[in-house]
Amino acid sequence: MPSDPAPSRSTAQPLLSIFEASKSFGSTHALRGVTLDLSPGEVHALVGENGAGKSTLIKIITGLYRPDAGTVCVDGEAVEMKGAADAQSLGIACIYQEPLVFPDLSVSENIFMNSAGAGRFVRWRDMHRRAGDILRRLEVDIDPRALASQLTVGAQQAVEIAKAMSRDVRVLIMDEPTAALSAHEVRRLFRQVRGLTEAGVAVLFVSHRLDEVFELSDRITVLRDGRHISTKPTADVTEVALIRDMVGRELDDFFHRTAHAPGDAALSVEGLGRRGAFEDVSFEVREGEVLGFAGLVGSGRTEVAESLFGVWPADSGTIRRGDVEVEIDSPRTAMDHGIAYVSEDRRRLGLSLPQSVTTNITLAGLRRFVSRWRLVDRDAERRTADTYRERLGIRTSSLSAPVASLSGGNQQKVMLAKWLDVKPSVLVLDEPTRGIDVGAKADVHELIGELSAAGVAVILISSDLPEVLAMSDRVLVMREGRQMGIFEGADLDQERIMSAAVGVA
Amino acid sequence: MSDISHVAVVAAPQRPAVRRSWLRPERIKGLSLVAVLLATILLFNVVVDDYLSSRFVSRLLIAVSITALLAAGESLVIITRNIDLSVGATVGVSAYLTAELLADNRGLPAVAAVAFAVAIGAALGLVNGLLVAVARVPSIIVTLGTLSIFRSVLTSHAGGQTIATGSLPTWLIDLPRSTVFTIGDYEVRTMFALAVVIVVLLHLAMQFTRGGRHLYALGSNPEAARQAGLRDRRLEIAAFVACGALAGLAGFLYVGRFGTINVTAGSGLELAAIAAAVVGGVSTLGGSGTVMGAFLGAVLIALLDQSLVRVQQISEFWRDAILGTLILLAVVLDVSVGRRLRAAARTDALSEARPVGPQQTGPNTIRNGVSDG
Repeated sequence: MPSDPAPSRSTAQPLLSIFEASKSFGSTHALRGVTLDLSPGEVHALVGENGAGKSTLIKIITGLYRPDAGTVCVDGEAVEMKGAADAQSLGIACIYQEPLVFPDLSVSENIFMNSAGAGRFVRWRDMHRRAGDILRRLEVDIDPRALASQLTVGAQQAVEIAKAMSRDVRVLIMDEPTAALSAHEVRRLFRQVRGLTEAGVAVLFVSHRLDEVFELSDRITVLRDGRHISTKPTADVTEVALIRDMVGRELDDFFHRTAHAPGDAALSVEGLGRRGAFEDVSFEVREGEVLGFAGLVGSGRTEVAESLFGVWPADSGTIRRGDVEVEIDSPRTAMDHGIAYVSEDRRRLGLSLPQSVTTNITLAGLRRFVSRWRLVDRDAERRTADTYRERLGIRTSSLSAPVASLSGGNQQKVMLAKWLDVKPSVLVLDEPTRGIDVGAKADVHELIGELSAAGVAVILISSDLPEVLAMSDRVLVMREGRQMGIFEGADLDQERIMSAAVGVA
Repeated sequence: MSDISHVAVVAAPQRPAVRRSWLRPERIKGLSLVAVLLATILLFNVVVDDYLSSRFVSRLLIAVSITALLAAGESLVIITRNIDLSVGATVGVSAYLTAELLADNRGLPAVAAVAFAVAIGAALGLVNGLLVAVARVPSIIVTLGTLSIFRSVLTSHAGGQTIATGSLPTWLIDLPRSTVFTIGDYEVRTMFALAVVIVVLLHLAMQFTRGGRHLYALGSNPEAARQAGLRDRRLEIAAFVACGALAGLAGFLYVGRFGTINVTAGSGLELAAIAAAVVGGVSTLGGSGTVMGAFLGAVLIALLDQSLVRVQQISEFWRDAILGTLILLAVVLDVSVGRRLRAAARTDALSEARPVGPQQTGPNTIRNGVSDG
């Protein structure tokens, strides 16, 4: 394939171009006349808030949706794709944020599942060997014979990349590929992406992490409310200008939180532990206080939260609410003690995707909506849901729409509404802003501020260090299942916390 | 935003993701099934006099040959996250129509009769497949409906007539007694050998052909299958057609085994087929299990069924309850043991990724050396 790293790339014929594409779902206009082109060897970043239309655009490019209007051209010729198979035969591949693997099949099969032209019979030995080769090229050590269900999310992601590389890909779409990756893995991924573009592949890179966008991309296209806002060379764009394009307003201050004197102890934990997960965790969080939980993914933060909420009860240590020692052996008892937990995994643990916005919001606090006859009061449910829609700015076509139809940020807000509705006095938020856009992020931050001002004790688990630092009064750092310390005041700085989290003295 | 703002270290890819073990979950399932089979035989051998008589074994093999074919077909459908409740009715239709055809044309070659039976089953399977894959009706509803429809159409066609043994060609009447070879006192019957050959071929096809792996893929994650460009509808239809065709063949064997065929032929066989597949380790959640497993499940169920008859103390009514218990036990074990195995794998991964304290000794600490820095 021709390799032309010169800056005159844009004059080459685009590999793929979208012209004036529109798509509606009922009364919702997901895309309105969006134009975009991808040149060989370029990394084209696509940014925008959740619900801006990025997912719809991706699905049009990958053949899953057909645009209501507009055309898709490959090599300058209009194509009509009837499904994912057509997109694949045109050399279009997509890597998703949440790896779309076959859990019951081997790693090799996952990689080669859709290789066209492979014979009728599966040559296992050969396939495992080729899979091993590709994985080694990606610098990952995964047994090609392992079942995908046995891999971590990070490893599954690597399998997805291997899958794309195993084919003759010309256009690679990466939809939030770094969300579940470590810094180390991100760097490796970027090396792999650059290797692909040098071979003439066009990459469409979708990410909420603007630092990555600036590092990797040649051009940036911004979508907002289904419309094309701008396409500019990355070198001509500043972070501030980009954010302004994305939200349509200046966001001079991301974090809204004014600290104030906390009240009495709301939750005290002493020597808490669970075998194989974490040990000897002790802290106290007071009314109106935000206690941050920092640490690497897998350091045991989520496991502590799950024990506080009774999902996996702790097997040692004590938990006190106020002065009273409580035993939490199930989410039910945790809720009885005023503790709520917003999971990091909204699709699997947080929401019932096929059910309506209203049903999801009132689910946890449903006993309050039961009328005299033990029936659910639908009107009261609806009123409550409407209140939260207003308060959190949940964007949905209707309260009875299934949650699955909402964008990620709005799903997150629905999940928050559900747990706010049980009126908790201790609220544990696990990665509440991961994978959501800057606007929704600011909304969540504002909400945390409001809640703590109202006296709720908040535990904030987040891998976004600036977020933890800006939102928290104190920060507990975990590493490898152990508490490394609680930082406050002058000790609250990125380097110190990071050193504690990675175990550098 | 600074580089360290989203640090998230996942150690997994830096080490072998799983230990390269010969004891994969599928193999454990298969081996434990064989163990249960042997244990059952040993147990009854103690309780029943002259348990493993050649007559008993022959009767068992004939019974297995029919349910094994059904279980094999059913497993294909279950692997794609569907279910086929209509296989019993399909056996009935195929058996009756084939018997009728042979009664009217006694000179018809055997191959033509088999082809006819298989074609009828495949056609009924196609009806199910089209309704499931194209009309997008859940398979449990579709096949619940076609179960009654197939049977009703047959009843109205037959008008309550029974086809007697006497009107069938002698080669078919003799089929259950025909033997391929003998081992000592035991005769390996043609019907059983036929079923085994088909099961083995189907098992190999599921493991070694692209189409077979696509069926697993579809059941494992339908969304990913669609996005991988697999022809999901065609695959679903193929599974139902294959299941129907096998039920059609089972219908042919049914005629041979019982000789006298009326419109209730094959009633209830769907439950035996599903039970065999489930006991044999085919997951009702789709995507896992093997045809060979379903076959072993069919053997186990037929073995219990035939053996319990010979234990005087157990009344006929309890036999069903015992079988039902076995099915529940299989599912409960599959779920709970499966969960424990997965949890063990995860705990392993966790302890490797992040050693919890230096006081922990044992194999984990040795492997910890390779965690990510």
